[in-house]
Amino acid sequence: MIYCKPNRNERTKINRALDRWGAFDFFKDKVLVLQKDDTKKKIVVCLVNEKIEELLMAGVISPYSIGLAIGELRKEFIPSIAGADLFARYGKRNKFYIIVTEKAEKLVSYGRDIMGESIVEASEGLAENELVILLNSSHEAIAIGRTRFSGNSLLQKGRVTVTTLTDAGYYLREEG
Amino acid sequence: MTIIFSKSQQSANLSAKYGYDEWLVSRFLEYVPDVDGFLSKMEIAPTQYIRVNTLKTHAAKLVKRLQLKGFELKTTVVPEVFAVTKAPFATGATTEYLLGHYYIQDLSSCIAVEALDIAPGQAVLDVAAAPGGKTTFMAQRMNNSGIIIALEPNTRRARSMLFNLARCGVYNTSVFKTDAVRACLFEMKFDRVLLDAPCSCEGVIAKDPTRKTSHTPEDVDYCSRIQEKMIETAVRAVKPGGILVYSTCSFAPEENEMVIDRLVQNYYNITVEPMNYGSGGLVRFGDMVFGDPLKNSRRFYPHLHDTTGFFIAKLRVN
Repeated sequence: MIYCKPNRNERTKINRALDRWGAFDFFKDKVLVLQKDDTKKKIVVCLVNEKIEELLMAGVISPYSIGLAIGELRKEFIPSIAGADLFARYGKRNKFYIIVTEKAEKLVSYGRDIMGESIVEASEGLAENELVILLNSSHEAIAIGRTRFSGNSLLQKGRVTVTTLTDAGYYLREEG
Repeated sequence: MTIIFSKSQQSANLSAKYGYDEWLVSRFLEYVPDVDGFLSKMEIAPTQYIRVNTLKTHAAKLVKRLQLKGFELKTTVVPEVFAVTKAPFATGATTEYLLGHYYIQDLSSCIAVEALDIAPGQAVLDVAAAPGGKTTFMAQRMNNSGIIIALEPNTRRARSMLFNLARCGVYNTSVFKTDAVRACLFEMKFDRVLLDAPCSCEGVIAKDPTRKTSHTPEDVDYCSRIQEKMIETAVRAVKPGGILVYSTCSFAPEENEMVIDRLVQNYYNITVEPMNYGSGGLVRFGDMVFGDPLKNSRRFYPHLHDTTGFFIAKLRVN
């Protein structure tokens, strides 16, 4: 495992994502470190504090993991559930969010795709194939999804309109 | 060497009544208060406790949400911990659990963290840390500041720990896949060290009744040897004035008082600090006599404290 600070391009990608979910201000004074596997193909973005950063930069030891993995850097930044949770709690929640009904909450939390009638509210101007954070009625992140339709078509009844990519239930499935 | 006591009519009756190997019951008769009550309590499922994760929510809010779902909760001696007195469905199946608003964790285990007197900004070493219950509690007491170095040599357990850290929103922790003995390689000194040592798990017989008969004196010997090595390493990682908390979920004095007694005798600068909860540690077992400071260590019995069986010693390294 290699740990390093993001370079300029990587930082730009991350910032773009933070801005996308209205969480740029919250992360302004936070330390982000990249965890790269030996092939450098998988790049995980980790939130750490200054003490952990100091330890890493001293370079004497190689940890198995550090801080909180808030997402992965691919062509774009894909948030993890832990990252989505921070964005939803501390971000402005004005763009790229979808709120689902209480009835749908449980199903979505365990990975089910979302039917149009399960959506209570969607951020304005969502396009097709857009990465979104799925919230319950208490505005807590329960999953990350991708839209199959745009605008009001997301609310059409009887059709799956958002595909769930990652869900909070994965903690339970993977933990054991 | 695990001490075996001679059998008696009482040990034969109790082991037949509750299905234990007799060597184990004859030992319990030497040090457990009200053995019949104790064995009877071990026949029923232990009380379940949840710990509010204050990194994500606060107690009043969580209690209200769970009550709306039909849960009934009771406060305990640790402010963040509640006993679940009624659960309409599995406590681990709520959205709040998935979102990391609470952690299912025994009260005794939370008291071990409480004993550390952790403050924000400190450097903490958590030895044998998986699955991360105590680590996440420490992180919340530190409000994600300072640093926790968590050691776990087992890959599967380390991986499982990462999910718990992520679920609870912990970001002041770094996990190392290594054991306590290699921890000295860090050359770091810590304000607090927690050693929740691998043990023979006598204390969780209520959860795993197979241990009534599968458990052997050799298990106790084996664990005791490992624990001695681990605590020797752990104590060297403590800063002067710092605290080391040693805990196990075993009742066996060979894994508890005996380990601490040897340590205190070998290091003149270690004191066993008093704690508020639990029963006093043993000062005598069979023909063995331990130092008086061992009274300050703490034993937790299911029938007296409504926890799983547990032992905690809070050690100040001067």
